[in-house]
Amino acid sequence: MEFLDFILNIFSSGLPCCLLALGIFLTYRLLDFADLTAEGSFLIGVSICGVMIFNGVNPWLATLVSVLGGAICGIITGVLNRLLNIPKLLSGIITMTATGSISMIIMGLQSGNSDIFAAQVSFTNLVTKGSPQQTIYSLFYPWEQVGDFYIVPNPWGDVIKIAVMLGVVILAMLIIYFFFGTKYGMAIRATGMNENMAKAQGINTTIATIVCIAISNALIALAGALVVQESKTASTISATGYLVIGLASIIVGETIFGKRSFKNWLISVSLGSIIYFTIVNIATRLGLRTELKSLLYAVLITIALCLPLIKSGIKHLIDKIKSKKVKEAI
Amino acid sequence: MLELKNVTKKFNLTGALDDERIALDNISLAISPGEFVTIIGGNGSGKSTTLNIISGSLKPDSGIITLNGRDITKLKEYQRAAYFGRVFQDPMKGTAGDMSVLENLEIAYNRGRRHSPIKWGFSEKHKEYFINELKRFDLGLEDRLSQKVGVMSGGQRQALTLLMATMRNNPTYQMMRRDYILFSGLKEEDARKEFDQEFSSKKAILDEHIRTIKLDSSISKNDKKEMIRNAKDEFDRQIREKFDLTKQILLLDEHTAALDPKTAKKVLELTNKVVRENKMTTLMVTHNMKDALTYGDRLIMFHLGHIILDVKGKEKEKLSVEDLLKMFDEADKKAENE
Repeated sequence: MEFLDFILNIFSSGLPCCLLALGIFLTYRLLDFADLTAEGSFLIGVSICGVMIFNGVNPWLATLVSVLGGAICGIITGVLNRLLNIPKLLSGIITMTATGSISMIIMGLQSGNSDIFAAQVSFTNLVTKGSPQQTIYSLFYPWEQVGDFYIVPNPWGDVIKIAVMLGVVILAMLIIYFFFGTKYGMAIRATGMNENMAKAQGINTTIATIVCIAISNALIALAGALVVQESKTASTISATGYLVIGLASIIVGETIFGKRSFKNWLISVSLGSIIYFTIVNIATRLGLRTELKSLLYAVLITIALCLPLIKSGIKHLIDKIKSKKVKEAI
Repeated sequence: MLELKNVTKKFNLTGALDDERIALDNISLAISPGEFVTIIGGNGSGKSTTLNIISGSLKPDSGIITLNGRDITKLKEYQRAAYFGRVFQDPMKGTAGDMSVLENLEIAYNRGRRHSPIKWGFSEKHKEYFINELKRFDLGLEDRLSQKVGVMSGGQRQALTLLMATMRNNPTYQMMRRDYILFSGLKEEDARKEFDQEFSSKKAILDEHIRTIKLDSSISKNDKKEMIRNAKDEFDRQIREKFDLTKQILLLDEHTAALDPKTAKKVLELTNKVVRENKMTTLMVTHNMKDALTYGDRLIMFHLGHIILDVKGKEKEKLSVEDLLKMFDEADKKAENE
């Protein structure tokens, strides 16, 4: 049972981050655009979805609106960069800064809290059968009536939650895969890889870039929406650290599973976040103290970034041993 | 007909007001269809700037560029891409290294068309066409379509870029009609009328032809199919020959300068072959005077933003590298004296 818990834990935090990693991948890898909007659009996804669900809106609609919110963040960053010629990093930072306020406004209005730093939306105890505050997961729960209450038998709640997440992730991945295989998708990829060539091939690189950043941030906001429905709490700090997680997932995935083709690359990146959360969860199981978590993230990222180097080092070593053996044999 | 009229371009690198460098000084140039022009000149003479202004990656300070009578000065680089195939000096610039040969070719095939966000980017029909073209180029790439371009040598990449720049992308009749109206140099109405009349009369002939084939009972079914296909191909060829205006201009910006001498020669030979076969209007900038004399039917020499030599035909054949060097020195001296 404990092992099952462990696995469920990994997936329930890892799967939303697949989308996050995919989103960051679209800008960071395909466009070569270090997009700091990511944490901002994640926060927008969290706050929009959180507030809408708190108010009893259909969870699918809430999710869709947060996706649109993320896309708008992306468009703003794209416009700042491409039309107003603000450097990439700065345009991301500008949007991210703005989303700080926007999300506080969205959530603050709800909680009616004067201290905006504590602005928080929570619907932890409110989700039961028949209550209007359903999440996309709870819609599918096999509710059981016990006296006056409805409960979800363990571990079915978690299993169904993960199944729904998996469904959303796979659907998003399929859409991304097919979109980037269409003519326009290829044009976007060419823009990111070689803008010179793209222009010479008649691609409007400005629009292509903005579209790609918008899709990226829409995915990140979708990740935010999945996370807030899982944690059932949204605050202004709920996005902190996710950019790093996304980046680490990309690099871990690429190093372990490769990037031979676009399909392979997409799958590698999303598996990367599962691997990442496996490591984090193992560390937590082994008794890692909460205050050391950030340190672990930092170490993990460093190792992930060095993995290609380590990989080639090991290869070199193996080659050396092999050639030595051959020499000895001679 | 590609024309540059009184084009001037100044660069101001440091931002200081008095530090302007004139790259092109009131240049006028007309290039007839099918002409293969080689352009030479020293560093900073304006030869690459000219190409960049034609392709739209630089905007002229004054003057206009016209293509078949239409002013294209205001068109952006990507909007002009349908009419210019380009190969750059840097082999990395013309292809996307992280994409496969097939993907690069598909993108090039789509040049000048709408990039649909719904239509799948690959097709078997295109693939067949690409394989044939690659075979014609003799690169040994036809079996390596799924290979990433990044692992290929500079020479191979340049040759691939050349293919991408010269590929006939078979515009649809709709696109041809649009371009003919815009670029034929005729009045809009006349062009439209001409296209529509020609198209419908040819189509009527084709339909009539197909009908007679279908009615003829002495021909077997397979032969009928074959004949109908041939008739359609012939119709297609005739229409294209008359109305396909796209992709007739090739811009080569020192495209062999970054290659080793042997590869450079191979790529040049290939360029010459493709240009001659497709009868493409071509502008080739080169550092190598010998190449400039060997290839092409017209030679233009730039010096400090001016055209100091423009010869074609017999006159060009008579020239030698020594002559060119002499002219070069004279122009240098003259500039110094001034």
